[in-house]
Amino acid sequence: MHNCLVIDLDRCSGCHSCEVHCKMQNKIDLGVYWNKVLIVGPTGTFPDIEQYALPMQCQQCADAPCVKVCPTGASYRDKKTNIVLINKAVCFGCRYCMMACPYGVRWYNEAEKVVEKCTLCPQLTSAGEKPACVHNCCTGARSYGDLDDPNSDVSQVIAAAGAENVHSLPDEGNHPSTHYILRQETATWRES
Amino acid sequence: MLEEITMTRRTFLKVAAVTGAAVAMSAPTVGSLIEADPAFAASPTQKNKVKTTCHGCIQACPCIVTLEDGVAVWLEGDPQAPLNKGSLCLKGLNQLHTVYSPRRVLHPMKLAGPRGSNKWEKISWDEAITLAATQITTTIDKYGPYSFFATVGGGGAYSFMQALTFPSAFGAPTTFEPGCAQCYLPRYAMAQYMYGGDNQSIADNSCVEPWNEYKKATKVLVLWAAQPGVSQTSESGRAIAELRARGCKTVVIDPHFSPDAAKADVWLPIRPATDGALALSWFRYIFENTLYDQEFTKYWTNLPFFINPDTKLPYEAKEVWPDYVAKTPANTPVYVCYDNKTKSLKPFAFSLPKKSAVDPEIFATAKINGKQAKTAGQIYKEAADPYTLEKTGEICWLDPKKIEAAIRTYTDTDVAGIANGVALDQTPISSQTPLGLMGLDMIMGYVNKPGVTLTQQGPTSVPKTRPVTFHNCFGGLLSMMWGVGAGVGMSPEENAARIAAFPDKATQKWQLKLFEDRLGIRNHKGLFSWNHSHIPSVLDAIRTGKPYKPRVWFDMSGNKLAMLGNAKSWYEVIPEIDFISGQYPMMTSFQVEACDLVFPIQEWLEWAGVPMAQMNYQFMTTPVIHLGETVSNGLPAQKVLDKAGEIWGKKMPPYLIGGEESQEAVNQAAVATFGAKSWDDLLANQDKYVPKVVPDEQYWLYGQHLAIVDDGLPAGFGTESRKCEVYASLLIKMGRTGYPFTYPKELPPSENGDYSPICQHIEPAESPLTDTEYPLVLTSGRLPYFHHGTMRHAAFSREICPVPPVNINPKTASKHGIKNDDWVTISSRRGEITSRAYLTEGLNPGVIWMERFWNPEAFDSSQKKIDGGWTQCNVNILTKNTAPFNEVFGSYTNRGFTVKIAKADGPPPNIWTEAKQFEPFMPTLQNEPNTKWVF
Repeated sequence: MHNCLVIDLDRCSGCHSCEVHCKMQNKIDLGVYWNKVLIVGPTGTFPDIEQYALPMQCQQCADAPCVKVCPTGASYRDKKTNIVLINKAVCFGCRYCMMACPYGVRWYNEAEKVVEKCTLCPQLTSAGEKPACVHNCCTGARSYGDLDDPNSDVSQVIAAAGAENVHSLPDEGNHPSTHYILRQETATWRES
Repeated sequence: MLEEITMTRRTFLKVAAVTGAAVAMSAPTVGSLIEADPAFAASPTQKNKVKTTCHGCIQACPCIVTLEDGVAVWLEGDPQAPLNKGSLCLKGLNQLHTVYSPRRVLHPMKLAGPRGSNKWEKISWDEAITLAATQITTTIDKYGPYSFFATVGGGGAYSFMQALTFPSAFGAPTTFEPGCAQCYLPRYAMAQYMYGGDNQSIADNSCVEPWNEYKKATKVLVLWAAQPGVSQTSESGRAIAELRARGCKTVVIDPHFSPDAAKADVWLPIRPATDGALALSWFRYIFENTLYDQEFTKYWTNLPFFINPDTKLPYEAKEVWPDYVAKTPANTPVYVCYDNKTKSLKPFAFSLPKKSAVDPEIFATAKINGKQAKTAGQIYKEAADPYTLEKTGEICWLDPKKIEAAIRTYTDTDVAGIANGVALDQTPISSQTPLGLMGLDMIMGYVNKPGVTLTQQGPTSVPKTRPVTFHNCFGGLLSMMWGVGAGVGMSPEENAARIAAFPDKATQKWQLKLFEDRLGIRNHKGLFSWNHSHIPSVLDAIRTGKPYKPRVWFDMSGNKLAMLGNAKSWYEVIPEIDFISGQYPMMTSFQVEACDLVFPIQEWLEWAGVPMAQMNYQFMTTPVIHLGETVSNGLPAQKVLDKAGEIWGKKMPPYLIGGEESQEAVNQAAVATFGAKSWDDLLANQDKYVPKVVPDEQYWLYGQHLAIVDDGLPAGFGTESRKCEVYASLLIKMGRTGYPFTYPKELPPSENGDYSPICQHIEPAESPLTDTEYPLVLTSGRLPYFHHGTMRHAAFSREICPVPPVNINPKTASKHGIKNDDWVTISSRRGEITSRAYLTEGLNPGVIWMERFWNPEAFDSSQKKIDGGWTQCNVNILTKNTAPFNEVFGSYTNRGFTVKIAKADGPPPNIWTEAKQFEPFMPTLQNEPNTKWVF
């Protein structure tokens, strides 16, 4: 089992609603974003330009550098779901993982002195619901499920998109498993 | 209630731990567990879910609220909703913070210092009502009823009907809202004038056919000055994402590279306020290349009719042939066309196309009664003729090839439609542009068909009699109540008989007098469609006392200083107003700077309201919680009206629509709508009763104009000619006499001459083509984090957008030494504001773009010196509320005026710019008890 998000950027309008749903669901402080929507572009010169929105959260790397560098084992991979998580009871806030993460999607919780990030909402998924950002995505851009199951939402969305339209963030050997769908007709995928 | 879970707090903690929840569902519950005493931890947590509808914008997404011990802790979209499909945008979600905001006003508040001091004294409801009513009655006793006025709008509140009728009940003619002529009225009303049907606005839920998933027909959608992905994020924004995903092409016409523009097949970044020229170029190209629907244009529009050059109205057959006897009823006049079959002028009687005796020519010139006359089609063609692709490219700052690509996308398909947006209303061409955009759909035959935008839904949309349109407010509401106004589509005899039969002659006479005395109405008679006053004329009247001086103001919503054009001009007349009552769920710039009394209003989680529809699905508006002594929008007006009657010892006229009913009455209406046994039954079984659905096959109906009605003719449309009036001849009559609104009374003609019955290009009064002092043109638009003037106090929206960015093309910025994120001053002839630069290629170098804004942090108690927060970043400091106005509606210039920019030294005073600063806006009222309704 390998649970993660797939996000269809042909649909995403960059409304930031997923960001706010995440914050409300997970009680996240002002200035901290387990999920943050970036706008890529406009690239080109007016009026020949293109743009897409890129929601950023933990990329659920197959070979996660944050897990490797964690001195206490607080950053770990859940054996059953393969989701990368943080055991806050063990974390002592050294923030090595924040430096190791290639995507800057880990955040320090000042009050609890621990590092946090997207958990894919196990409090919801364990009850059969979808993560908050997926349930409430205004454009139906987000899906969640098991990449190893060909019948899961995420596998089906990836299959329907066609390989040439499926992207992931730059891979530094960490093998991010979150997938983004973007067709050339919408915009060119940027590798930076 | 969908579910009710009862468990002890301790067991909930265990459950949370088992599910691996690093963070549990709600802070109040779990946060308190850590330090809880054993008795508290063992007490039960009541958790339940309630269905309601969001009112975070003017669409209304069905949603589900999770409550824990009566505290709303979570909101999510309702998966049963056909449009938002389980999603809810951040504007909706902000309600969890807004309803429990430390900024809430929970009790009536009386000003306890000078205006602007933000010092308030809590008073009782009885005192508040008495104070407002006494101020109004005393002033009216002294200065007469015209000294009173009421307003709404500016905050997304829903007191629309009260504004129409509350001043009238006092015998006062003055009412306005910052929207109206600047938002939706022109597009709504023009559809009523042109074909008596629904219009092209997505935001206002008039245009829903493209979202139809029962028959998925729309192949091309033109978003003209609209950005549903931003303005109505989870409803129309979701719908358009689905539409694109199923292959529908989109053309977006917007100066700004909106999220919808970024996904468009063709994007036309038009120079602001030149939409009339662009629309005319579409007419020209479509006429020249014979791309229009010939049958529809010939038989279902009035373009083949010859127009009398003196009257500008179509000739009737009896004017040309005095002995001609029409076979159609008196409510269906026979006009004159050039018949291609007989090569001669002929009477053109209304019928189905296949039964017509003539083959009418659309473009013709002929001598009639000794004068050279043209068909309406010929007039349109000649008006459009200068607007070649090249010329239009120059005017609109567009590539002619792109214009052609956009037109071809729209024409070279069997089904397309135009959806128009609010930007068109915010310029002095607010009547001319919708005339053009609906006219285009009409000549293309994109009317009452699957997949087009000009459609009507539901069983009642199919006429059984000759369609008649009443124009005095929605469905002729005021015509019915006051016995005034003509029904368009009735014969002169029928109208005369209707007026004569109205029993209350005194009311008829009185209301017609109020119509006549309405400020600014003589020149802008289209305002009668919503019975509003012309805002700049009200301002002048307050300032000068001429023709009468409004002195007591009852405002029913929001932040007038953020929403009214040229806000400073309004701030300056506040001292002229003797007493101002306001109402809103929280203090805004307007309450702080202007109000003497503030009534506490409910947020939408507290509302008991009418059912809200998404297409053929109806959902409940459920009162979920209730704090303090808050009431619904309509209540203060009704209570004050009742109290005024008590003071005067007389019964006030029963005009007020939308005045408060008891909670029980509202609940019982919902029980009836959803067919439940009782309110408790409805609440307990929402899953069973909600939504209520009209079957698809009874809702998605087409070809309404083809239905044969009781006179044996096809229904046609609710206009005088029974056709789509692409040449809107009703506007000619309206400007001259006030017809149909003031019928049987004739008002003097507009001082500016006849209203144009067709699309026009008018170069903006402040034009970047000629303005050397203010060389850039500013336009504005929404960001997805806010709706109208709301949510600037919502911390999670403000941390995303602490300051409204001013979008500038890098070329323009570099000329002024401005870099990304620099502070910039933006100045117009009205004033100056400061904001932060966002450099983007998504904008023509000659244009800058900015969201309107206000800063509630400016009167936070932490500030050394407070102010109302309406001067710092508010685009309405810059906007232009002086002539020229739109001729029909009096719309002023909120967009498309000139400005200049310069690098600023730093941020303006009293604003917050960093996420952590918004901590004082985080919710604090979760421990407030849920109270019973006050009334």
